[in-house]
Amino acid sequence: MGIIHTKDFGIRYGEKIILSQANIDVPAGRFFAVLGENGAGKTSFVKSLIHQNHQTTGELHLNTTRVGFVPQFRDITRDYPLSINEFVALNYNKGWRLWLNPQEKLDVQEALRLMDLSNIAEKRLGLASGGQKQRAFVAQALVQRPNLLILDESTASLDHEHKVQLLKTIKQLQKTQNLTVLFITHELKLVSQFADGYLFFENGRVTQGDTDELQSLTMKITHIHEEDEVRHV
Amino acid sequence: MFSYDFMQNAFIAGTVVSIVAGIVGTFVVARNYAFLTHSLSEIGFAGAAFGLFAGWPALLGMMLATSGASIAIGALESSYTKRDNVTSAISALAIGLGILFLALGHTSTTAATGILFGSVLGISRQNLLLLLTLALVVIVTLLINYRALRQLAFDEAGIFLQNSRQKMVRYIFLVMIALSVSISSQLVGSLLIFVLVTLPAASAKYYMTTPPKLMGLAILFALFGTWSGLSLAYLTNLPTSFFIAVIEVLIYLFSVWQFQKNA
Repeated sequence: MGIIHTKDFGIRYGEKIILSQANIDVPAGRFFAVLGENGAGKTSFVKSLIHQNHQTTGELHLNTTRVGFVPQFRDITRDYPLSINEFVALNYNKGWRLWLNPQEKLDVQEALRLMDLSNIAEKRLGLASGGQKQRAFVAQALVQRPNLLILDESTASLDHEHKVQLLKTIKQLQKTQNLTVLFITHELKLVSQFADGYLFFENGRVTQGDTDELQSLTMKITHIHEEDEVRHV
Repeated sequence: MFSYDFMQNAFIAGTVVSIVAGIVGTFVVARNYAFLTHSLSEIGFAGAAFGLFAGWPALLGMMLATSGASIAIGALESSYTKRDNVTSAISALAIGLGILFLALGHTSTTAATGILFGSVLGISRQNLLLLLTLALVVIVTLLINYRALRQLAFDEAGIFLQNSRQKMVRYIFLVMIALSVSISSQLVGSLLIFVLVTLPAASAKYYMTTPPKLMGLAILFALFGTWSGLSLAYLTNLPTSFFIAVIEVLIYLFSVWQFQKNA
């Protein structure tokens, strides 16, 4: 059984069915693209993984308690005061200790190193570039050494070069840290170069496939989009 | 200056209030709660007016009103209403009620002015003791929940496990803001709460990059304003709140200017 395993799993909000008969099995240590239109159930599924959905049916097994999550929206203004180092340490959210203990300090340093932020650790996050900010967001999720890392549209706000750079770093992490990655995205073409498999959400169903099929899925979806565009014209 | 009892009391009160305001203010500013804090002070005015009308100490009325309102705002905030609109509605109602209670209670102008603009030189030993106790409660509560609060204030989006403990921390934070507003109003009055709770912390964020240092500098800025304000008021016989307001605003404007110049 993989790190995520479902059997006839479903989600509903009141009368509305978001997802039904989901039968998937994500093996540990893989990079999975999570695809589908807005409202297709991607976020709801991820919420269920971290026990935020109560109206579920069937079985959902998550074989780890160490989950890191990089949310889609974060409002970091220019005058946001914390340094990158301090921002990453925010993930320690239990207890009262004002300063980090030696182990926590080491883990923060390691997360910064993995995301190539060590040399700008003291920089104010508000004054960091878009790419640096995204890397700091990922570093924060890495600080508690997760086995499963979920990223929600993390490349959406970046230019192409930084998108590729971030994905390369995450791919590297997946390999060296034996991390399972769920990468929620709309950028199918881009992510297909990095993913080992995909979960595709459509009309309340989810299908699972591996890399080869991802290529054909890319063609299929691109094709649909092109047809859409033609129709709009 | 310190040979007078009332000046001693005022300095002790000023010091305690500045420390509380610096700590709470750091979280308030990080969470963009400046507007909420301002509204709570207006609600505090209503509470104090009701207190006087009912024959209670003004501070007690203020604490009850602000704590109640902060819990109400917290409950409404977690649904889909926009926070600022909810807050405006509640504070508008509060000011209306405040005016009503002042009229019904035939409160003297001095008492009303005291609530609105502060009356730090009139603080009694008994009031001081109450103030110290409340300050201690706020500081200890905030420190016990420090790390959860830090995440809530500086990176709410990063909280992906919305468990009951997290919800509890939200309410604890709101009630602590309410108590701080009540305490601070003893010094600068309910109209000028943001001078102590918001401005020093808002200035500090242009210099410091860690939460403990932010709190430290915010406390220093608040203390500087309070001590100078009290001394200047003693020397000139002009209102303390006026001096504190001017000093804190100047520190803030200088900080913003510095930051924009360097960044």
